[in-house]
Amino acid sequence: MFIDTLLIGLSSGAIYSLMALALVLVWRSTRVINFAQSGQAVLSTYIGYEISLATHNYWISLPLAIAAGALIGSLVDLLFMRLLAKRGTTGPIAEIAPVIATLGLLGLIQSVIGLIWGNAFLQYSSPLSAKGFTFGTHTIPFSPQNLFIVIAAAVVLGIFGFVFRYTNLGLALRAASFQPEIAQLSGIRVNLVRNIGWAFAGAAGAVAGAVITPTSTLSPHSLDLLFVSGFIAAVIGGLDSLIGAVVGGLVLGVGFAFILQYISSALTFLVGFIILMFVLLVRPRGIFGQRVNRNA
Amino acid sequence: MLKRKLTPLTRALLFLIAGAVLLALSGYVDELRTYQGAQVAVYLVAIASIILLTGYSGQISLGHGAIMAIGGYGAALSYELWHFPLVIALFFGAFAGTVGGFILGVAAARLSGPYLAGTTLALAVGLPSVADQFKVLGGEQGLSFDIGDAPNWLRNFEGDGFTQYKWFFWIAIIVAFFTLWAITNLLHSSYGRNWRASRNNAVAASLAGINVARGKILAFTVSSALASLAGALFAMLLGIVTPTAFPLTLSFTIMTGAVLAGVGNLAGSIVGAVVLVAIPEVSGALATHLGSSEKLTSNLPGLVTSVLLIIVVLFMPQGLRIRNVRRGKTTQ
Amino acid sequence: MLVHRRTKRGKLAFTFVATAALVINALPAHAINTYKADGVTATTITLGITSPLTGAAAPGYNKVPGAMQAYFNYVNDNGGVNGRKIKLISKDDAYNPVLAKSVTNDLVLQSKVLAIVGSLGTAENEATTRFINDHNVPRLFINTGYSGFADAKKYPTTYAVLPSYVMEAKIMGQYLKDNFAGKSVAIIYQDDDFGADALKGFATAGTKFLVKIPYASGSQADPTVVGKWISGLAQAKPDVTIMFGVSSATAAALGGAYKAGFKTQWVLGSVGGDGTTIATVAGPTAVGLLYGAIGASFLPAPTDTSDPYIAQFQAINTKYNPGVSFDNNVLQGMNTAMLTVEALRAAGPNLTRASLLKAIAKSGSTFASAGFASLGYSATSHVGYNGYWFGTYGPTGAIKPIGGTYTLYTTDSGSGAVTQTASKRPAMPEKGLPNN
Repeated sequence: MFIDTLLIGLSSGAIYSLMALALVLVWRSTRVINFAQSGQAVLSTYIGYEISLATHNYWISLPLAIAAGALIGSLVDLLFMRLLAKRGTTGPIAEIAPVIATLGLLGLIQSVIGLIWGNAFLQYSSPLSAKGFTFGTHTIPFSPQNLFIVIAAAVVLGIFGFVFRYTNLGLALRAASFQPEIAQLSGIRVNLVRNIGWAFAGAAGAVAGAVITPTSTLSPHSLDLLFVSGFIAAVIGGLDSLIGAVVGGLVLGVGFAFILQYISSALTFLVGFIILMFVLLVRPRGIFGQRVNRNA
Repeated sequence: MLKRKLTPLTRALLFLIAGAVLLALSGYVDELRTYQGAQVAVYLVAIASIILLTGYSGQISLGHGAIMAIGGYGAALSYELWHFPLVIALFFGAFAGTVGGFILGVAAARLSGPYLAGTTLALAVGLPSVADQFKVLGGEQGLSFDIGDAPNWLRNFEGDGFTQYKWFFWIAIIVAFFTLWAITNLLHSSYGRNWRASRNNAVAASLAGINVARGKILAFTVSSALASLAGALFAMLLGIVTPTAFPLTLSFTIMTGAVLAGVGNLAGSIVGAVVLVAIPEVSGALATHLGSSEKLTSNLPGLVTSVLLIIVVLFMPQGLRIRNVRRGKTTQ
Repeated sequence: MLVHRRTKRGKLAFTFVATAALVINALPAHAINTYKADGVTATTITLGITSPLTGAAAPGYNKVPGAMQAYFNYVNDNGGVNGRKIKLISKDDAYNPVLAKSVTNDLVLQSKVLAIVGSLGTAENEATTRFINDHNVPRLFINTGYSGFADAKKYPTTYAVLPSYVMEAKIMGQYLKDNFAGKSVAIIYQDDDFGADALKGFATAGTKFLVKIPYASGSQADPTVVGKWISGLAQAKPDVTIMFGVSSATAAALGGAYKAGFKTQWVLGSVGGDGTTIATVAGPTAVGLLYGAIGASFLPAPTDTSDPYIAQFQAINTKYNPGVSFDNNVLQGMNTAMLTVEALRAAGPNLTRASLLKAIAKSGSTFASAGFASLGYSATSHVGYNGYWFGTYGPTGAIKPIGGTYTLYTTDSGSGAVTQTASKRPAMPEKGLPNN
């Protein structure tokens, strides 16, 4: 039972890490919490769904969904976030403008999805079996699909970690988010680099959506709770830290699984809230968050 | 400076007159509009809570729907289970929410922007489902909160058409106007000025002698009092409290209303509240006009709200106002 | 112009009064009309229905309003009811009692319907009861089996149609006693009055449960929650598992059982037991689990074309509801629509809310319909059907009666015994068009 719960937690934790990663990427490059993340991710998943229906092949739809996610992320930055940065920073709602604006974008994306595809629950099927691995007479609640989820998340996180650490692009991304004016002076094209950051975030969200949706159903709101969990995970880990996103995601995933199993399904998010409060009281910037001198 | 000052007394008189006018006119309006009028009153109080918290004190909360839930459940429980009289039950709900808000505010005072947003978001999702855990709270089916009909003397005085919805309207408007009058006074007092000052520049404010942390906690507490009062009224209107009555989207909705109102501007809260109630009605009519396909009916309200929100945030940061003057610096 | 420099406070007060005055003036100011009968003109009858068209509980049930309108259109094409054509306004409540309240407000106050028919959900109907009673709106043939709704005193304008969950549970309990004596039984049920009603019936039948798994309505959409149901069952290893929930929950349970490799004899509650819906939601891999499950129904099997009602309804569905596959949801919708037409006819040309209710009380028990059990309507009873037959699901999810013939068991919602009864189903009116 303990191992079973741990495995379930691992699988969901991997997904939370992906969502948290996407949020942290955007936060680090634009200081904005992208509430539209779940909308972008679910839109990418719908595109993947359509492709899988047309080609009868999940494996073709997957990279195309990821590409769509990157493209959507980049477009949101180009068309929406630039506008927001220009217009939305004056007036009494300056602090909450990005939150409201991205919430509005989320609602917009979800309504448009509903108008195109309807609100019915759809099945995005993957050829991987949903039946858990069997050892003798015992079937564990971890199926080939779950294994794939964990592997996909690990691959994405590995790629991003590598890019950020060991490539010029990664360096540019980190510089551009930390000190955009200075970065520009050193020849870094800040706008382009930031756009790439948004594309990466969109791709991460798309991966999360495309691998988790086969385990349940697809609808305009199907990734909303995932976003909330991802956000909590990012906050626990520290919004500035990519490592924090991973750790936060796993901690939350395993935590939720144990609360569900041993306490109650009704209390998962409340206990999550308590864990969050506890972490923030001790470390107001999250476990791995840095004490930055910015007043924001 | 200002040439004329309205004393609290004059303000009170103006509120009273407005209220009396509305109550009298409610006799000539059909029942659906009366119910919607009550909904506007509820949103008024909820939006005021966000204006106070975010517009004046600069803190962000995505979880005010959960605070409303505390108010709603508090009122329902005390009325149905412990048989408090109605007004006491409503204020008990507000009290419960205030206590919760105080605790949250103390914890939140140390948190900045997105961290506070994330915390309140978790609360918004986590709190309402507690009702599934404890039988006394009724689970997904909910608790009934039926306040009955208006007292007989009032029904005899008003006549045959005094339905329960009209009674709701009276209660909601009276409570809302009274609350708004009190909050207007609060916001124009030194408390309001202190909040504004702390929001604009915390360091300068504390150098000027303002206790910033205490101000933040006070703002959160008063804002929660308002939100939970709105929640209690909301529950009264619905006649039932369920977790699904206080979903995450409720928190977003009242924030939307506050933005439409112009987050720093209490007067706009009427416009914000009316727009919030009008959107489902207008989009429903539009959807029927365009053929009432199911996709349209389900998604048009959301589309309209989102587009409106984006337009307001990007192009009208002062909110939906008749004179939207773009000033160089914010003077509010 | 006049006041060159308004103060903030002045602006505030002015805005209040001005906006309020504007708003009030813009509103339609006609006399209050809350208690007169609406929804009837010389040429039309307007009815309303609330059901989950979207959301976690929608699969299957969202076909019912369309099926009802299809039947109404068939009747409209054949003369209507006393020269009036029937229009059904369908509103979505997403299986959420709060939404049910607001759309019911709209139906009665805005669309001014004559009656609400087939409103779905126990919690939903309870939430709207105060309003319905206050406005004396007939609420006919509600789509829930909660036994409380048949109480004519508490719900004077509400008429049940489904056999109650208490009845169903008693009959199921008896069936298990007769055919699965000595075997261990578990139950998954929705944790509200819907499930509690079933538990009451099982208690009366004397069924002992190895394990009881309640779930919050809506939580079936979360695979981890469903996983917990199944792991709880897998630990207890019951021989028989009863599933008393909506279709999407039944589908989730079967799908979860497949994922966990859990095997048991499934007994499915009728409300959530439509094979086609389950097969669609749970996916083709879980249809294997449906095979061999036991289910109950009070209507003929939707695939039984030898039954005159089924044949007729299928024909109507093909013509008036194209693109929608005929299943138990469509069958039930059309059956309810047929009863509704008979009620409207019985009320006569002088159709009002009051005459409609009187007509059902007077002659409702004689209405023809596809149900095998008899209808219990009278001046004092709002009880609908009172019995079920049992069947097993085949490899494609189609249910067939056990033993090949429909064996009807009837009982009441109290402590009366369960008895095998001969069906006294009235003959179908010609071409399925009511002629009462």
